[in-house]
Amino acid sequence: MKRLVLISLMMCICTVVMAQNVTIRAVNQPAALVFRSIVEQTGKNFVYSSDLLTGMYVNLNVKNKPLRQVLSIMFKDSGIEWKINGKNIILKKRQTSERPRRADNTAKIPDATINTTRPTTRMLEEVVVVSRLEAPAVETSEIGAKKLTAKEIINTPVMFGESDVIKALHMQPGISEGQEGLAGMNVHGGNADENLYMLDNVPLYQVNHFAGLFSAFNAEAIRYIDFFKSSIPAKYDGRLSSYLDVRTKSGSPEGHHGSAKLGLTSGSFNIDGPIGRRTSYSVALRRSWFDVLSIPMLAIANSSSDDDKIRFRYAFMDINAKVTYRFSNNATVFASVYFGNDVLKTGSSDKEQPQNGWYDDDKDDFYWGNLVAQTGLNYRINPEMSAEFTAAYTRYFSGMTHDWLLREINDGNTVDSHSITKTRNNINDWIFRADFDWRPGENNRIRFGGGYTLHSFLPARADRSYTVGTTKTFTRDSTWTYTANEANAYIEDDWRISDRFRANAGLHLSLFNIDGKTNYGIAPRLSVSYRPDENWAVKAAYARTNQYVHQLSQTYLSLPTDQWVPITGKFKPQNADKASLGVYWQSDNRMFAASAEGYYKIMRNIVDYRDEYYLQPPTEMWNAQLCSGKGTAKGIDFKIEKLYGKITGHIAYSLAWSDRTFPDKNDGLTFPARFDNRHTVNILLNWNISQKVNLNAAWTGHSGNRFTLMTQVWNSPDFGNSYTGDESPLKTRINNYQLPFYHRLDLSCTVRNRRGYWTFSVFNAYCHMNTVAIRRAYTNSNRPVFQKVKLLPIIPSISYTWQF
Amino acid sequence: MAILRYILYLLAAVLLTGCYEDFDPEIDTKPVLCLNSLITAGEPIDVKVSHTWMFNDEKSVNDHKVSDASVTILANEKIVGNDYLPKEGDKIRIMAESPTYGEAVAEVVVPYATPIGKVRFTPVVTNIWKGDEDFFHYRMLADITFNLNIEMDVNDPAGTNNYYQFEYDWFSGAWCEDSDDNLEASRLDPFTIGTFEYDAEPIFKEHVGVFETVMGNGEDTDFVFFSDRQFPGRTYTLHLNFTNNTFNIKNETYDESLLECGVTLYLTTVSESYYNWAVYKWNVDEGITGDLSDIGLAESKWGYSNVSTGAGVVAAQASTKYIVDLKEFLKNAIK
Repeated sequence: MKRLVLISLMMCICTVVMAQNVTIRAVNQPAALVFRSIVEQTGKNFVYSSDLLTGMYVNLNVKNKPLRQVLSIMFKDSGIEWKINGKNIILKKRQTSERPRRADNTAKIPDATINTTRPTTRMLEEVVVVSRLEAPAVETSEIGAKKLTAKEIINTPVMFGESDVIKALHMQPGISEGQEGLAGMNVHGGNADENLYMLDNVPLYQVNHFAGLFSAFNAEAIRYIDFFKSSIPAKYDGRLSSYLDVRTKSGSPEGHHGSAKLGLTSGSFNIDGPIGRRTSYSVALRRSWFDVLSIPMLAIANSSSDDDKIRFRYAFMDINAKVTYRFSNNATVFASVYFGNDVLKTGSSDKEQPQNGWYDDDKDDFYWGNLVAQTGLNYRINPEMSAEFTAAYTRYFSGMTHDWLLREINDGNTVDSHSITKTRNNINDWIFRADFDWRPGENNRIRFGGGYTLHSFLPARADRSYTVGTTKTFTRDSTWTYTANEANAYIEDDWRISDRFRANAGLHLSLFNIDGKTNYGIAPRLSVSYRPDENWAVKAAYARTNQYVHQLSQTYLSLPTDQWVPITGKFKPQNADKASLGVYWQSDNRMFAASAEGYYKIMRNIVDYRDEYYLQPPTEMWNAQLCSGKGTAKGIDFKIEKLYGKITGHIAYSLAWSDRTFPDKNDGLTFPARFDNRHTVNILLNWNISQKVNLNAAWTGHSGNRFTLMTQVWNSPDFGNSYTGDESPLKTRINNYQLPFYHRLDLSCTVRNRRGYWTFSVFNAYCHMNTVAIRRAYTNSNRPVFQKVKLLPIIPSISYTWQF
Repeated sequence: MAILRYILYLLAAVLLTGCYEDFDPEIDTKPVLCLNSLITAGEPIDVKVSHTWMFNDEKSVNDHKVSDASVTILANEKIVGNDYLPKEGDKIRIMAESPTYGEAVAEVVVPYATPIGKVRFTPVVTNIWKGDEDFFHYRMLADITFNLNIEMDVNDPAGTNNYYQFEYDWFSGAWCEDSDDNLEASRLDPFTIGTFEYDAEPIFKEHVGVFETVMGNGEDTDFVFFSDRQFPGRTYTLHLNFTNNTFNIKNETYDESLLECGVTLYLTTVSESYYNWAVYKWNVDEGITGDLSDIGLAESKWGYSNVSTGAGVVAAQASTKYIVDLKEFLKNAIK
C-alpha cells in the first residue's frame, strides 16, 4: 500500500461553520476545489493521500443537502471510500474496488460525476496544492489575489517559448509588463522594485536572466504561485506593491518521474521521486545554450579575421533541488537549494603585430545570480494548530571585471599598459522565521508569526588598477558593507462573522535597524466581504505596506549593475496606503466568474533618480543621486473568466492612472509615471481541442507607455574643446508624451504524443512592431527627423518535452 | 570595450530586429532664447544669443539668429559695457530679451584661479640614439624616446566647491621661431609629446560610475575635468604620465636654445556650470546610457543648462599654468 501523505487543506483555506448542509455546483471542477468549498461550508478537513486525487474532476449539483449525502453522491463509483472522524473527512482508496476509471469511462450518475483522468502531462499533478487562494474569489475575503498553477503558467504563450511566471502574470489586470519583452512588473502604478518575489517564502532579489528576457523561475520546478496586489496578508511586508510567493514542487512519493525539455534558447531536466519510505526529492535544472551556438560561430568568424579576435560567451543556468522527509503525519522537514547564475564574457583581442609588437587584449567578465538555501519544518502541534519553522540563507551577487592590456614594443622595450576594473555587489541575508496557523474555533482562523533577518549589503564597490611601465595606481571606492537587522511580527484573523459576512484583520509590525538608526513600520491590514447572494460578493480592503530597500537601476534592462541598497541617510522608509473595493460574481455552475476591483494607492517616500543625477559623481554616496517623493495610483480592474470546459480563459480590462511628485524632479511638478497606461486589455484563451492538442492565445493591448520627448533643441556652446558641438535637447516635462497604442498577439500550441509533447509558439503573431521609444536622428540626406523605435517582430519558437 | 556596446544593442534590439520609422510628433512647443558664453577672467565677455528650434524643422536648422534681442550684462549687480573685463570673483549676470522669444537670464561667478602647487617631474629615457660628433657634420644629432612622469599639486581653496580642468601643451624652444633664416624650419618640431596616460590619474574618472566603467568606452576618453569633492580644502597630487615622448634633433651646430623644450601645464578653475556641461556631454557622447536612451532603454537626458529658459550654458573660468622645463634633461641626455 502506498504510503499516505497527509494533506491538511486547513492550512490554506478559511474558517468553519456549524452548518453541515452543503450546496455545491461544480462542472468538471478539480476535486480539490470542490473539497475547498465543502470545507468552507462545513469546517471539516479533508485528509487523503496526495496521489488519490491526481487528475480528478468532479461534476456535482446539490443544494442544501446533508454533508454525508453529498459525500455519498460524490464518491459513488469513484473507487474512493470516505469516513467522517470528528473534524476530519478521511479519504482512502477502496480496497476492493477497481482502479478509478479513465476519462473515456467517466462514471455517470444523476447528480454527480467524478471524472478521474490520469495525467497526460505531469502538470495535472498540481491539482492538489496548499494555497490560501484555492477557493473561488466569491468565497474569500481577499481582493486582487491570484493563484496560478504551473499548468496555467506553462500555457501562457511567451517569447521563445520559455514559460515565465512573471510574464504569465502580465495577463492579469492591473499589472503592467513594463519594457516590452522583458520580465519586469509594475503593479497598480508601482515601480518595478516594489514587488517582493519569494521562493518558498524566502525573498529573491534578482529575478531575471539575460537582461530580463527570462525570469529566474524555472516553470518546470513550480508547483503554484500566490500573488497578492491589493489586500495583502499580514504575513507579508517589505514591498509596496505586490507579493509573489513561488512554491516549488516536492518529490512525488509514488515513483520516479521526470521530463527533459529542449527549446530554442535553453534546455531543462527535471526529476522527482521517493527515496525510501519517508523521503522524496525533486530536482530541476535549466541551462541556456546560446554559448553552444556562439562558440562555433565565433570560431568561424575569428578564423577568417586577420585582425580582431572576438570573445563572447553567455549562459544562464538555474537549479532547484528539494528533499522532503516525513517524520510522521504531524511533522515534515525539507531542505532546498536554489541557485541561479548568469555568465557573460566578452571582449576582443588583436593579433600581435610583428613589425612593432603591438598587441591589444580587452576582456570583460560578468556574473550575477542568486543562491537560496533553506530548511523548514512543518509541524502539527495539535489538531487546531500547526507551525512552519524556516531557516534560510539568501545571497544575491554580481560582479564585473574589465581587463584591458595594451602592449607596445619600442626598439626592444616592451611597454604594457594594463588596466583592471573590478566591481562587486552582493547582499547576504540570514533569515529565521516561525509561522503559526491556529483555529481556536470554527469561525476563526488565526495566523501569526515572526521573523528575524540579518542583512548584509555591499553596494557596488569598484577597484581600479592601472599599470603603465613601472607606474601603478590603485583606487577603491569608499563603499562599505552595511549591516542591517530586520525583525517583524504579524497576526491576522480570518473571521467568518456570519454566512454573509467575513473579515480578515491583521497587523504586521517591523523594525529595520541600520547605521544605528531604527525604523519602525506598522502595517494594519483589513479586508471584509459581504455575500448578498451565494454567487455575489462585495469586498473592501485596506492595506499599508512598508519598504526598507530599493533598487537602483540606470536603465530599463535588468543588469548586474543594478544595485539593491537599504534606506539610509536622509531617506525614510517607503510606505503605501491602499484602499480597494471589489464586486465579484460567479455563475451557478461556477463555470464563469466576473469581478470589478477598484483601488486608490498613495505611495510615500518613494525613491528615484533626481533630475540630472549623473552630475553627481559616483564617488558620492548613492543617496546624492536620488530624491524622495510620493506617488499616487488609482484605477479599476475588470475581469471575466471562463474557468472550466474545453475553452477557458479571461478577458481583463484596466482603467488606471499613476503619477509621481518629487521636489527634485520635473521642477517639483507632478508627472505621469512611465507605465501610466490608461487602458489595458488582456485576453487569454486556452482551448483543449483534444487530449492531444491544446491551443493558447494571449492578446494584450494597452495605451502606450509614457516617454520624455524633447522636441526643441538648441545650439550647444563652443568652449573650444572636445566638449562642444551639435545641438542639445531642451528640457521638457517628464513623460510628456504617450507612445502609440501597444498591442500584440502571442500564440502557442501543444501537441502531445506518447512520450511527451511539442510546443510551438509565436510571439507577436501578426508582427505588429510596437514603438518603445522616440529618437532624434538624421536621414541619409542629413534631414533631421523624429523616429519611432520599434524592437520586437514576430518570433517563432519550438520546443520538445520528453516525459518519463 | 566597444564590443560591449554592440552586445547591449543586441540584447536590447533582440537579435537586431529593431527598426525605425520617421514620424512627426504633434506637440505644440514654442522656441525660447538660448544664451551661450564662456567668461574668462581678464577677457571681454562674448555672449551668443540664439533661439531653440523644433528638431525636425528643416527651415530652422541653420538659422537660429535672434535679430531683435537686447542683451544686458551686470557685474556684481551693476550694468557694464561690452568692454568690461571681468575679474576673478565677479558675479556676472547676463540678461537677454526678445519680443519674439521672450527673456533669458543666467548668472555665473568667475572663479578664482587656483595656483598650481609643487610640481615634480621625472623623465625616463626608454630609448636613445646619438650620432657621432662629426657624423654628417651635425653637432647635434640624437633620437630620444622618453617617458615623463609629473606630479602636480592642486592646492584646493577651502570654503568653496571648486571645479577644475587640466590641459597641457608643449613647445620646442627656438626651433621654429626663426624660420626665415633657418632652412630647416620646415621640419617637424624636435620635441613631440607622446601619449597622455589618462588612466594613470583616477580623479579624471570620478564622474564614471560602475555601469559606465564596465559598459562604456572608458579607455577612449580624454575627459580632464574634476572636482574637489574628494579633497575639499586640501592638496591633491595629480599623476600625469606622458609616455613615448620623442626628441629628434639634427643640427650642424650645437645650439642650446634648441633644447628649450617643455610641457606647459594648465590648471583652469571652471565654474560649476562648465563642469556640469562637460559631464553632460561626456554622458551623452561617450556614456552608455546615452546610447540606451536612444532606443528607449534608459531615461532621456536633456542638455544641461544654467539659463532660465533651459537653453544654453553661461560658464566662467580662470587659469594658471606651470612650465615643465626639459632643457636640462635633454642637455644631459644628448651629451
